Amino acid sequence: MSKLEFVYVTYIETTPEKLWQALTDGDFTERYWFGHRIASDWNVGSLYRFTKGGAPHSEGEVLVSDPPKQLVYTFDGCTEESRRESTSRVTFDIEPSGKSVKLTVTHDDLDEGGVTYCDISGGWPIVLSGLKSLLENGRVLSVDLPQKAKETVDA
Amino acid sequence: MPKPEYIYVIYIEAPCEKVFDALIDPEMNKDYWGGHCNLSDWKRGSAWQHVDYDDHAIVRVAGTVIENERPHRLVLTWAHPKDLGNPDKVSKVTFAIDEPFGSTRLTVTHSELDDEALRAISGGWPPILSSLKTMLETGQSLPMTRRRWKSGN
Repeated sequence: MSKLEFVYVTYIETTPEKLWQALTDGDFTERYWFGHRIASDWNVGSLYRFTKGGAPHSEGEVLVSDPPKQLVYTFDGCTEESRRESTSRVTFDIEPSGKSVKLTVTHDDLDEGGVTYCDISGGWPIVLSGLKSLLENGRVLSVDLPQKAKETVDA
Repeated sequence: MPKPEYIYVIYIEAPCEKVFDALIDPEMNKDYWGGHCNLSDWKRGSAWQHVDYDDHAIVRVAGTVIENERPHRLVLTWAHPKDLGNPDKVSKVTFAIDEPFGSTRLTVTHSELDDEALRAISGGWPPILSSLKTMLETGQSLPMTRRRWKSGN
């Protein structure tokens, strides 16, 4: 099966350090990632996990942890359907760009035709739009997700 | 083989009308589109141009308005002015604006591109659209996009 890649680039008025914190601190992710807390010690080889209300949502292994420039982890969704798919990979590249920060999210090694690719293609733009709003003006998006869409963003 | 297309989706905390108007208002364009702006009467079939805000004679992109359904849809052809007569060099940009979950979603689809154009616009849309969001949400665009760019996109 051939593998797919999803790339999203956004420019955020913040610092690399704040952006790093926003990606790795559960108190922060809970605010813009629709209630999902991330937890890890962020050492290479350690595990991380996203949970919502204590229930696991996605998890993986930290492959690269180079604050505040690059974070790479493997990604496995925790639903039965997504567990049948192969492990994918998420890379966050953080680069200063003038007074802003360029964030490139590359989610690759995705199964073609898989539920994960479908979910993350819709999910990353809304999550990263919310992250940008929160860092720039302290407010989260006023998004009211229906249940099906919640699952999409969740996965 | 179908020609490549580029898709960018961004959610913006602003009404659909404000997002739509920001695409066609020169006074707003110039602050998030590198000192350039879009000119037209925006009627279906009319010409439009992407020009230097300070010197409208410098035309970076030109084309035709294919659809205008404010505030939900704007479709334009897109070409370097010298390539307007060459269908192989004319691409298409669709701005779709909706509110799927109570927040405004802007989807930009740039289609019918050749490989060279795909490379060029892939670097252009993210800073422009990131800055548009920042401007509409905070009142000020990203500083890097207020400077005058050498090329429009």
